[in-house]
Amino acid sequence: MILRFLRNKLVEVEPRPDGNLSVSWRLTDDLLKVEVQMIIQVPDMEILEAEAKMDRFVPQGCESASVLIKRIEGINIGSGLRKIVGGILGGADGCSILVNAVLESANAVILHFTRPGIQMGEAVTDADQKLAGLQAMLQSSPRLVRSCISFQDESPIMQGLNL
Amino acid sequence: MISFNRSQVIGAEFPDADTIRFNGIQEDHIYGMEVQMEVRIADGEILKVDGNMKRYTNFVCPQAVPVLQTAIGNSLRDEGWESKIMKEIGRKGCEHFAEIIIECGHCLDQAVRSRDLSLALEKDPGLDQHQFLQNWSISP
Repeated sequence: MILRFLRNKLVEVEPRPDGNLSVSWRLTDDLLKVEVQMIIQVPDMEILEAEAKMDRFVPQGCESASVLIKRIEGINIGSGLRKIVGGILGGADGCSILVNAVLESANAVILHFTRPGIQMGEAVTDADQKLAGLQAMLQSSPRLVRSCISFQDESPIMQGLNL
Repeated sequence: MISFNRSQVIGAEFPDADTIRFNGIQEDHIYGMEVQMEVRIADGEILKVDGNMKRYTNFVCPQAVPVLQTAIGNSLRDEGWESKIMKEIGRKGCEHFAEIIIECGHCLDQAVRSRDLSLALEKDPGLDQHQFLQNWSISP
């Protein structure tokens, strides 16, 4: 059966020569085309610049995407971001596509910082050492505790940890 | 050089007039997941779901595959459906499966709108597409 609808989304993080991060978020489907670009200052994670373009059949509330997106400049990627971005760009008259673009871009920035640790963990072949590595990661990143099945109280990774 | 890259691809088929079948793929430098899901268009209820975990980060992750079944019966049109999926499928299972289901949910009306526009264009190639979409609503 052929597809009647296809959506492609891509988010990329690229370190810049000045140490900051460039984030590109793109969406294209049968009815919509969106591009959001952001510059994130490292290490304080402030959104320095943000730009947005929408094309094809732009949904109600998103007609001024290029102006709306400027409201997130100066915000820091950190706790409470979902609520802050939802409050600034979302709501009944807001643009949920931009909200998702910003949150998914922020998530990609976090995964940019997560990737090297996971890559190093892959070099460990001993099962006990691997488990110890996962437990050390949890202790240093308490936000992960109970965030998924691997880090729920019943998980073998959580055994012996008092988190 | 790109240090992190994630792609999400959501395809939609219409096996019958009131059912949409999504095939969602999420690939990034760290994770690789797929979800197939059938949804009733009228009320957004998830009728069937299946998932495949291709790349993950630890030995517990695959236990999230059966947790996907708890999504059945949830509606992608209910108030707060995204938070509910993230809580039930993401936290109790895998966040990345939840992300794919949520993106399928974001595509629900857009895919039906796209199908309806495509069918209307087959009948009237000169149709005013903007006007059609402005007047579009889910058929009862």
